[in-house]
Amino acid sequence: MKLTDVMSGAGLAIYAEIALIIFLVVFLLIALRTWWPTRRKELEDHGGMPLDDGRQAGAAHGRRTP
Amino acid sequence: MSASANTGRMEQFTYDDAIVRKFAWATVIWGIVGMLVGVILALQLPKPEANLGLPYTTFGRLRPLHTNAVIFAFAGNAIFTGVYYSLQRLLKARMFSDLLSKLHFWGWQFIIVAAAITLPLGYSQGKEYAELEWPIDISIALVWVIFGVNFFGTVAKRRERHLFVAIWFYIASIITVAILHIFNSMAIPVEFLKSYSVYAGVQDAFMQWWYGHNAVAFFLTTPFLGMMYYFMPKAADRPVFSYRLSILHFWTLVFMYIWAGPHHLHYTALPEWASTLGMLFSVMLWMPSWGGMVNGLLTLRGAWHKVADDVVLKFFVAAVTFYGMSTFEGPMMSIKSVNSLSHYTDWTIAHVHGGALGWNGLLTAGMLYWLAPRLFQTRLYSKKLAELHFWGGTVGILLYMVAMYVSGVTQGLMWRAFDETGRLTHPDFVETVLRLVPFYWVRLVGGLMYFGGMCLMAYNLAMTWRARPAKYEEPVYEAPALSSQPVPAEKIVSPMEEEKAPVAGVAYSLEKFLLAAWHRRWERLPVVFSVWVAVAVIVASLFEIIPTFLIRSNVPTISSVTPYSPLELLGRDIYIREGCYNCHSQMVRPMRAETERYGEYSKPGEFVYDHPFQWGSRRIGPDLHRVGGKYPHLWHVRHMENPRSTTPQSIMPPYPWLLTDDTGYSKVQGRVNAMAMLGVPYGESINRAGEFARQQARQIGSEIAAQGGPGGLADKEIVALIAYMQRLGTDIKKAPAEPPGQPVKTAEAR
Ligand code: HEC
Repeated sequence: MKLTDVMSGAGLAIYAEIALIIFLVVFLLIALRTWWPTRRKELEDHGGMPLDDGRQAGAAHGRRTP
Repeated sequence: MSASANTGRMEQFTYDDAIVRKFAWATVIWGIVGMLVGVILALQLPKPEANLGLPYTTFGRLRPLHTNAVIFAFAGNAIFTGVYYSLQRLLKARMFSDLLSKLHFWGWQFIIVAAAITLPLGYSQGKEYAELEWPIDISIALVWVIFGVNFFGTVAKRRERHLFVAIWFYIASIITVAILHIFNSMAIPVEFLKSYSVYAGVQDAFMQWWYGHNAVAFFLTTPFLGMMYYFMPKAADRPVFSYRLSILHFWTLVFMYIWAGPHHLHYTALPEWASTLGMLFSVMLWMPSWGGMVNGLLTLRGAWHKVADDVVLKFFVAAVTFYGMSTFEGPMMSIKSVNSLSHYTDWTIAHVHGGALGWNGLLTAGMLYWLAPRLFQTRLYSKKLAELHFWGGTVGILLYMVAMYVSGVTQGLMWRAFDETGRLTHPDFVETVLRLVPFYWVRLVGGLMYFGGMCLMAYNLAMTWRARPAKYEEPVYEAPALSSQPVPAEKIVSPMEEEKAPVAGVAYSLEKFLLAAWHRRWERLPVVFSVWVAVAVIVASLFEIIPTFLIRSNVPTISSVTPYSPLELLGRDIYIREGCYNCHSQMVRPMRAETERYGEYSKPGEFVYDHPFQWGSRRIGPDLHRVGGKYPHLWHVRHMENPRSTTPQSIMPPYPWLLTDDTGYSKVQGRVNAMAMLGVPYGESINRAGEFARQQARQIGSEIAAQGGPGGLADKEIVALIAYMQRLGTDIKKAPAEPPGQPVKTAEAR
């Protein structure tokens, strides 16, 4: 018996479907978690990260690129 | 920002901008080279003599140089420019190692130079966008690892807890590109610059387009999205419109992109289910892509007035709009009925250039114009020239795309047109080519405009660079170090708890679960995060790949299909060397228009010895899968020497050197042995390949002479190539059960 016979008999399609369902569930969890109302502020604050280049030594506050 | 939550002591550091400058220059230079080659190719189609009659500059050899240069040299260096600039700032840390940065830079440039030398010389694996031969492939893997170590090293020493979403996109790119490159490039080396793909036929095609599609996703899309999410807010001086949307954008792409690959192989010998799965996922991809586009554009909310006088924003807005166009068009083209028209035509060429010139090219230009004053610490030399670049470039792409749409649809419709009597309206292929020539000229003009814009940018940046200070200022930054422990679990307080929000018990428990410590931990641990990305990519890939490889019914055996004879194998190698697959497909689709024109449609079982597959993706010339036996040998001799002698208006380049260059018999044994190692049943040829090859060549040589052709061709490359072409697609016409390994008799010339 060859590997191809084993694989042909293994009914792989079902595993692909299971994988898809797992993906979907994980994705929904991520989506739910991302859009959870109380996380809004925490997450949306991150949206400004590109504007912060860090504080220059000696300067009083964070330097934004001009 | 979250740095305030850090507990470590204050640290001082600088950013390495010298490396960013290097990559930026490389981007500009290779962009110009890659696009210049593109312009030359565009000229060669209406004017084949523009190849100067040299082997090195024929269409089939230059086209891989063009695609590789634009994708890996231009876009690649652009990615590194963007990543090295943004990563350091987003993490508040200098790159992990300046030495690794330099090795990465010089290693990548070395690879590009190696590609620029070997491709015109005809060293090619014959797989689109993965043509580079094995020593270069290994170098790519090494340099990619260097990049990865440098990247993750920087992540490890960061002073910012949260990884901004751009970095997620970068991580996904680094991991996935590595996986794609390694698995698609699996080949056994035969000579120093010659190898055979370990996969054959349908499987090779599947791997190749799993790679090709996901290279578009993870080389030309995700890194550029990361750059969009960083540089767009920078240029607009606004935070990302919706950070949460960007997170969803990320995960949908990671989860869905991989599954869409088979849409490149509709109506081919690929199993039906795979192709349908690919189509469904492609259509679904439209949603997140547009979510991303909207998110990019809305980042400009309240700043739209700036677009009028800020050229950087103009480039970004146009780039993101092209991203939206391409990601709408892509799913559309993956619908089978649309694909049956668009595939193999210039429509595909329009689509990829919308993506590459519009999305990647304009985003890169915007980024470079934004970076120039910061990197060179002086004002941009000329805003006017940058504006001119923008308008010239944008109009150029539009001209290019419109010309290619018209040409693609025209040719597609001509191929499938039947007259009242039920016969093909345009049985003569070259007729459908001639109709395209005017559009080829328009395309050339569009391409020249875009290329001109690139030159303007190079000049503008060079002049800016000339005005740089004598010594670059290197500002010192400070930020507290991260404490080595992620925030301990018990310290994480639910915002609901904090706010004492009046919520139902279920919602409260759900929140506890969703915000649980393990979740946060892995979000903050880049390694774990990367592992999850890798898992998503690998799982999706496996479910595509395993069945194609291991389910027997996917590649039914056809008993009359036998291995190529040693001479045919040499001929096939010439076909690969000359890059004929850049103009010719070898895949007759199961549609009446195709079977009428070319003959019986192609079956998966016919390709089981094709290491690598040569199905092609564009028909500038006709399909060749059933060309075996269609013409006498002598016709091929004349046609290859000068196509216009047999087909007066042909735009195929002449290959006169095939009639004078000797067949490399000394190499044939090694090549047959390599094929045998891959499981091709070569029988007796394993020891007597040279002898068999010479024998078959003498026979074809004398047949050519008997047909009234020149004598003395037997040991020339042309005969090997003819042996291969006369063999193409003839196996299924034979009675089964020739013992394998015998030199198969050349198909009877008609
Ligand atoms: C620039 C694109 C281009 C390249 C590269 C190219 N061809 Fe062609 N080929 C064409 C076009 C266009 C035609 C149709 C006109 C003609 O018959 O010459 C054609 C026709 C043919 C035909 C005749 C097919 C038929 O059914 O009539 C053969 C055989 C052929 N090419 C072989 C090759 C081989 C072998 C190579 C590589 C050494 C090659 N071609 C490279 C464009 C190309």
